[in-house]
Amino acid sequence: MPLLTGVSVDQILFALLNGTIYGLLLFMVSAGLTLIFGMMGVLNFAHASFYMLGAYFAYTLQPLTGFWLAIILAPVLVMGVGILVERFILRHVHEHGHAHELLVTFGLSVVIAEMIKMVYGKFAVDYRVPAELNFAAFSLSGIDYPFYRLLMGGIAVVMFIAIWLLLTKTRVGIVVRSAIYRPQMAEALGHNVPMVFMGVFGIGAALAGLAGAVAGAFYTTNPNMALELGVMVFVVVVVGGLGSMGGAMAASLLIGITNSLAVGSDLRIADLMSLVGMGGWAEDLGGLLTMRMSSLAATLPFFIMLLVLVLRPSGLMGEKE
Amino acid sequence: MKFAPLLLLATVALLIALPWLVSGSMLNAAVQMLIAALFAMAFGLLCGQAGMLSFGHAAYFGVGAFAAVHAMNAFGGAGLLPTPLLPLVGGATGLISGLVAGYFSTKRTGVYFAMITLALAELLHALASHLKAVFGGEAGVSSFRMPAWGIGFGSLTDVYFLTLVWTLLCIGLLYLFSKTPLGRITLGLRENAHRLRFLGYNTHALGTLIFAISAMFAGIAGALQSMNIEAANYVVLESHISTAVVLNSFIGGVRVFLGPAIGGAVMTFFGYVTSDLTRVWLLYQGIIFVLVMMFLPRGLVGELVERLRHRSGQGVARSLGATLLRLLCLAVAAAGAVFLIEFLQRFLSSEYRAGVSEGNWPAISLFSYDWAPLSVLPWAVGLGLFGLGIALVVTVNRRVADRQEAQA
Amino acid sequence: MSDPILSLQHVHKSFGPAHIIRDANLDVLPGERHAVIGPNGAGKSTLFHLCSGQFAPSKGHILLNGREIGGLKPAEVNRRGLARSFQITNIFPGVSVFENLRLAVMRKHNLQFVFWRSAARLRQVNEEVDDLLGKIRLTDRAQTLASQLSYSEQRSLEIGMTLASDPQVILLDEPMAGMSHEETDYTAGLIREITEGRTLLIVEHDMSVVFSLAHRISVLVYGEIIATGTPEDIRGNARVKEAYLGEEAA
Repeated sequence: MPLLTGVSVDQILFALLNGTIYGLLLFMVSAGLTLIFGMMGVLNFAHASFYMLGAYFAYTLQPLTGFWLAIILAPVLVMGVGILVERFILRHVHEHGHAHELLVTFGLSVVIAEMIKMVYGKFAVDYRVPAELNFAAFSLSGIDYPFYRLLMGGIAVVMFIAIWLLLTKTRVGIVVRSAIYRPQMAEALGHNVPMVFMGVFGIGAALAGLAGAVAGAFYTTNPNMALELGVMVFVVVVVGGLGSMGGAMAASLLIGITNSLAVGSDLRIADLMSLVGMGGWAEDLGGLLTMRMSSLAATLPFFIMLLVLVLRPSGLMGEKE
Repeated sequence: MKFAPLLLLATVALLIALPWLVSGSMLNAAVQMLIAALFAMAFGLLCGQAGMLSFGHAAYFGVGAFAAVHAMNAFGGAGLLPTPLLPLVGGATGLISGLVAGYFSTKRTGVYFAMITLALAELLHALASHLKAVFGGEAGVSSFRMPAWGIGFGSLTDVYFLTLVWTLLCIGLLYLFSKTPLGRITLGLRENAHRLRFLGYNTHALGTLIFAISAMFAGIAGALQSMNIEAANYVVLESHISTAVVLNSFIGGVRVFLGPAIGGAVMTFFGYVTSDLTRVWLLYQGIIFVLVMMFLPRGLVGELVERLRHRSGQGVARSLGATLLRLLCLAVAAAGAVFLIEFLQRFLSSEYRAGVSEGNWPAISLFSYDWAPLSVLPWAVGLGLFGLGIALVVTVNRRVADRQEAQA
Repeated sequence: MSDPILSLQHVHKSFGPAHIIRDANLDVLPGERHAVIGPNGAGKSTLFHLCSGQFAPSKGHILLNGREIGGLKPAEVNRRGLARSFQITNIFPGVSVFENLRLAVMRKHNLQFVFWRSAARLRQVNEEVDDLLGKIRLTDRAQTLASQLSYSEQRSLEIGMTLASDPQVILLDEPMAGMSHEETDYTAGLIREITEGRTLLIVEHDMSVVFSLAHRISVLVYGEIIATGTPEDIRGNARVKEAYLGEEAA
């Protein structure tokens, strides 16, 4: 295999594991977005801002409460913010339609980002994995694999199982699911649908907040993190199809894994083209064609999205509009 | 309305006379305002008339800006076209990139469309940092305006008139466009694309075309911008440019023809005059946007037009009184909010934190007074004014409602 | 008897395992007003969707003027001379009544990507719109926003947009749904007027309307046409009574 020269099986294994965990993280945020959209028809542009708030809240709480309590309390605080947003802002503009709700959440994302900048400054804050968790889980061919990554993946998995059980096995879950499909009917049966909406919005926000609190310590916590993740999450829901949890899961993993495979790859488009005898032409042309995959990794998800739009516009598992 | 054309004429006359009326720095602000107005109008065509919300319009603005700079540098600096025609290059590249991006993004509608436009803009931004030959890396690409047609284009006044002519021309073209069959179909696309498709229209092609036309005008605005500063940097591709045009257009009101332009010009003006006073203008812009969306969903101009259209003869004076009273109360609340935000901003700034030593909190100078941050006073002033203003508005609203009830 | 203008021959439509239309045969004659009735879930809307091109038939033929239209796209079917209205009011709410009709008329004149002419100066188009406004009795509401019309006016507008392409065959899907008695009478009169010289296929639940308006009636039960005939024939048909009217009496 000429394409894989210089890449060991272990490296690919690492990349796959990294990608899966990043994908799980993406899913943690996109799951909340999908849940809220499916239920309320609102595309919450500020959803990734909740992720950022989670990271900053945990960073602020950590010195006072310690790491574990911080990553428990931060999502609770974010849930509070989410509930306030739903109750006092979104419900107020509900009558103007979903596009209007999207715009308001867009405005909120601007306000939240600017407030973060005002309080914490424009640069990354020093939010780190605590020393007692900063050790290698295992090592392959002499490369250590950080335990914290596995912890992030573990927390994500535990979270999904909890949510899944909540939605399928409890009475609350039944009410929520019926409110998603038939809000009037659920209301007529005596369930408090506005309350359910508020709860779902809060839980979605808390999920994003938890993802932020956990991931902020590993990646960086800066005022740009909401936009960077938010765009990825949007790509995920376009690729997967909004309202489909399975689609969101598949797309999250797909994008997480391709991303981290690309980061570790020195492959160039020109190399691929040389397989069909156009290598020389590509070398002459230069530009994008001679750039290494690793430096293009950040753009790969976008190209996947464009490909999906051409081949299957309604998304991998989306229904036709 | 008979006075609308008169008002328009007066505005144009004022714009023509402006270089002799205001200072150089204000004229510079006016150039920025015109560019923001044109950019907002381009956005308004797509979002207000066709109902397609784009979160990534910086891409086409930026593409136009870079195209113009490269066109200025073409032929060893002689320029691809005479200086006054260079915005055409921005428009053409905007149109072409709009056709490509529009083809993909109009494959989906609604929220998906919005997400795709954002993703495409971020894609371009991510690519731009790698393509140094085109986008010039950190430093960007710079250039010089060449004299042409007997005009030097060295002075700010020349640039102002160049920008003015192009902006007015483009807004005029956009107006005429709205009167053509395609312009009318654009409204149908916004109102009920499904029905339009069933009537036998090709909605994907229509959407792509309108996206491209909007991108073309955004490209012209971008070209004017880079011609003004004689440079382009990939900062013009960043998301805050896209954000600003969304905020400005909706604050003005996207459904009325000149709403976006007025929103863009006014917000740019305030951004300019407050740039020395505050470091958190974008925060104010965001807050204003959220408030407008919540309480004046048609936007400022849209709401004004609606009021004028539905005025009842005798009610005008009384509702004017109530409106003025409300504005006054809101001003009190706004003063409180601004005080709090500015005080917090200074209190939290890194400069201030650096000056804090062991239990010693220096006073903060704001609005020509020094406030001790640990005393109750500044917080009471801010919160008090804010609370008072809100309470007054609520009272006025209740009174007006009572009186209307008494009349009915 | 003249040749049918619209003819369904052994048409089947299934969605997965669900057979919605089974072996439907229906001939609609030129110039007649033909109603399709049947209990809920009989497949009337599906039948319409098949004729107008929303769905393609799984089996069988649909002929318009003797030419196959089964499986064509809605726009193509429309161009061949068949237009339909929708069960749910489907208009452009935020623009004027005039604009609604003009959007429909412009398509007929193939004005789609035209950005070098003024819409106000398209004489032929605007005259046709004025003419339509008169036909649907909305002339003095021309500049009103469509969203501000009353329900029956919106249904009239919907019918007006159906007429814009000057079709030979009109399909109306429950035009009286949700209307009061007066509104129903008004709309029935309107339908009588505008279908003069055209062929009408209508689905309607209001039996008094069906029996007074239609020249012939077809009864659809569980995806099959079990009877076709004049209103008198249908009233006296034993199978219909058993399958349909009987159910209503119970």
